[in-house]
Amino acid sequence: MPRLVPAAVVGLGLLLSAGALLLVSASEHEENAAFVATASLVVAWSFILGGLVAWARRPDNGFGALLCAVGLASFLGTLAQANEPIPFTVGFVYGGLFLAVFVHALLAFPRGYLETRLVYAIVGVAYGAATIGTTLTSLFTPQPEGCPDCPEIAIAVTDSPVAADVVWGIVVALLLPALGALLYLFYVRWRAASVPLRRVLFPVYVTAGASLLLLAVTLVVESFAADAAQALWWVLTFTFASVPAAFIVGLLSGRLARAGVGKLLLEVGRAAHAPGELRDALARALGDPTLRLAYWLPDAETFVDIEGRPLELPEPNGEELVTIVEREGRPVAALIHHRSLEEDPLLVEAAATAAAFTLENERRHAALAKAQARNRALLDAVPDLMFRMDRDGTYLEVKGEPEDLAGPPEELVGSRAHEVLPPEVAGPLVEGIRRAIDTGEGVTGEYTLELNGVPRDFEARIVKAGDEAVLIVREFTERNRAQTEMKRLHQELQQRHRDLENERDFIRAVVDSTPSLLCLVTPGGYVVRFNNTLERLSGRRDDDRNAGSAFWDLFIAPEEREAVREELLEIVGEGGRGEYENTWITASGERRLVAWSTTPLRDHEGQPRLLVSGIDITERKQQEEELRRSRARLVETSDIERRRLERNLHDGAQQRLVSLSLVLRLAQAKVATDPEGADRLLAQAAEELAAALEELRELARGIHPAVLADRGLYAALEVLAARAPLPVDLELVDERLPEPVEAAAYYVVSEALANVVKYADASSVAVSIARMNGRAVVEIADDGVGGADPSLGSGLRGLVDRVEALDGRLQVESPPGAGTRIRAEIPCE
Amino acid sequence: MAYRILIVDDHPSFRATARAVLSADGFDVVGEAEDGGSGIEAAARLRPDLVLLDVQLPDMDGFAVAAALCKGNGDCPAIVLTSSHDASDFGPIVGRCGAAAFVPKAELTGAALRAVLR
Repeated sequence: MPRLVPAAVVGLGLLLSAGALLLVSASEHEENAAFVATASLVVAWSFILGGLVAWARRPDNGFGALLCAVGLASFLGTLAQANEPIPFTVGFVYGGLFLAVFVHALLAFPRGYLETRLVYAIVGVAYGAATIGTTLTSLFTPQPEGCPDCPEIAIAVTDSPVAADVVWGIVVALLLPALGALLYLFYVRWRAASVPLRRVLFPVYVTAGASLLLLAVTLVVESFAADAAQALWWVLTFTFASVPAAFIVGLLSGRLARAGVGKLLLEVGRAAHAPGELRDALARALGDPTLRLAYWLPDAETFVDIEGRPLELPEPNGEELVTIVEREGRPVAALIHHRSLEEDPLLVEAAATAAAFTLENERRHAALAKAQARNRALLDAVPDLMFRMDRDGTYLEVKGEPEDLAGPPEELVGSRAHEVLPPEVAGPLVEGIRRAIDTGEGVTGEYTLELNGVPRDFEARIVKAGDEAVLIVREFTERNRAQTEMKRLHQELQQRHRDLENERDFIRAVVDSTPSLLCLVTPGGYVVRFNNTLERLSGRRDDDRNAGSAFWDLFIAPEEREAVREELLEIVGEGGRGEYENTWITASGERRLVAWSTTPLRDHEGQPRLLVSGIDITERKQQEEELRRSRARLVETSDIERRRLERNLHDGAQQRLVSLSLVLRLAQAKVATDPEGADRLLAQAAEELAAALEELRELARGIHPAVLADRGLYAALEVLAARAPLPVDLELVDERLPEPVEAAAYYVVSEALANVVKYADASSVAVSIARMNGRAVVEIADDGVGGADPSLGSGLRGLVDRVEALDGRLQVESPPGAGTRIRAEIPCE
Repeated sequence: MAYRILIVDDHPSFRATARAVLSADGFDVVGEAEDGGSGIEAAARLRPDLVLLDVQLPDMDGFAVAAALCKGNGDCPAIVLTSSHDASDFGPIVGRCGAAAFVPKAELTGAALRAVLR
């Protein structure tokens, strides 16, 4: 509030006071001038001064200004003392306006402004009655009733007491419910008010309520008994003037309480006090039993209560307000108090300042309490047993599960260790406690205790705490068990690891030593790895350079790559199983025929893979091809042999027999006529017949020598040797071999001897037949020119076929100039 | 007048025996040939009444020789095929080649040939 305002208000009040005194003293129609002047000034100044006090306390609250307005407005009524019609009329008609302002102020108390629609309505009726109501009434009243000396009312238009009564009756009819509503509001507000607020409200509501009741009574009485009303007006005036005084009384009670706070805090600040006493003292001093204290913990940046529990400050809009208490510029605590104390901020501030020191102490207490609560929570969370014991071994405090203790906790407390524990445990325990207390060093010990029939191992740590000891006891039976179990699991794990490594090495060895070509590829056909066998075949290393290459690019012959690529990618979508035969190509360009298959599997990481597994069938294919050719040759040889037989028969024996037939017939014809000629012909016929027989024998011998079938290989070879035109050295086992073997051996020797005779130009030949490891070994060696080539000449070729048909082998060694050695091995089983 | 005969056979012993048999039966053996080619040449040169033709010859068989002999002109000699095999070994080929008859070698007689020429 600018300082000018109270000065101006006081100045204006003094000016109006002087005017009022002048008007009263000069009035020609006022009979009781001294009383009127006194009353006017008392009413006016009681409100002006009361208003200024309120204004000073709460500059932002309109209530003080309204009280001042009441006082100043009351001077309007003194104009009615004027002798001139116009000022008289103003004073007479609007002299009651201050009452409307008063109603306004009452309803604005204590907040300083109007709130509800009902309040606005009441205030509106009051202002309306004091202005429009009185003006309308005056229109029909040229001369105030009961005052023949008064000047005329300037605004009167006609003299009509009836009209005036009617208008005023209407105004009163409006005013009376408004007054009732006003009293009702007082009642409601009183009900809702807190104790300190009631102390402020009480004197004001009593005096104001009395004033308003008197006003109502006066207004009613005035309509039928003017004299009695006049007396009531006076009573009302003084009652009314007491309202600001009542306000001051309420205020003073606050000031007195503030003095009480100072005194109280002086006392509690000096001496130690129990937690909570300060709050009670402050609550008494501030007159707010709902007061709460919150303590600021700078570390945690939070407010807590005296027990250290976190505390939320109330929202500023609610019933409670917060006043922060600071000490040396730092927040210490907060007072959480009722909103009504807002009326008296200086009181709260004074209380806060006075309590700051003690609050600081309590704040430390709260911080300690919070720390203790945290420590307690930590201790509760520790699973160990905990005991507090004195140096005599008496349990002071016990924490732990009942099944881990020697007795129920409530029985242990107060007992001595020697009473509940066996002596071999209690003795060292108490000794340890004393040593810890005496030396201040921690003591550790282990002991075994039988609880519920089960021996259990404990480890105790004893630390000094003042003149007591704290024991932290941990069971290690389970820990031991767990450690043993852990060790066992570790060993098992290691063993499994070794097993897995062995298994892995074994599988690796199998994979690398298998004759199969193994290659792991991705579903996209890219090489992941391949085994040693494939490394050897392909001449490629299973290394990073080749891993990631397309399988077909790495291993398949160029002309088959595209087909393999398509088939492989297709088979992936159809389950991954397939069988193929393709030409693979090695790093050096060698072509190998490989039969291979694919199998879907997952690798050690669970990735889908295809296992390509192949076998090099190049040799097998060649052997198959050779077998096929060999068979064809055998058939061919057989055909040739038959043709030769047919030709030999035809050209030899058959021709001779034909001739014999013709010669015999010719001789027959000549027997009679030319006996000599016939005789010659018969001689010729005998020669032909002998020749034919010889040829037939020779032929039969060539087909299958009879001696071989009848007498065996040994005899047959002796015949061959005897018939040969060169010396044959025979070295034979005289035992029968399976018939096909004997036949094959015979033809080998027979053909070989024929070749020796035909080509070798040898002087001798050695033939041997032996049995070795279930095989017949036939060997023919000559000392001829050598240089025989088994791939040329159908004779040798036929021998090879014949021997191989029996799963045997025939080798020809024939270096030029060093003879020829033919060796055949034929299985006998 | 004796019939003129050409013998075509690769076996000298048969040619000699046949010449002896046929000469004894009153035939005039005007020539011998040892294979098909020389047989055809000799037939054209000697113009025999009858050619005794062996079926199995080294260069071509008797059927082909017979066909060649008849193709040259209308006036071809009578051809008698012979073999150490039986006629049944050759079937209908004998009739198709232009030969007049087939006589097994063992049954060769002058009478058999005359029956053909008549």
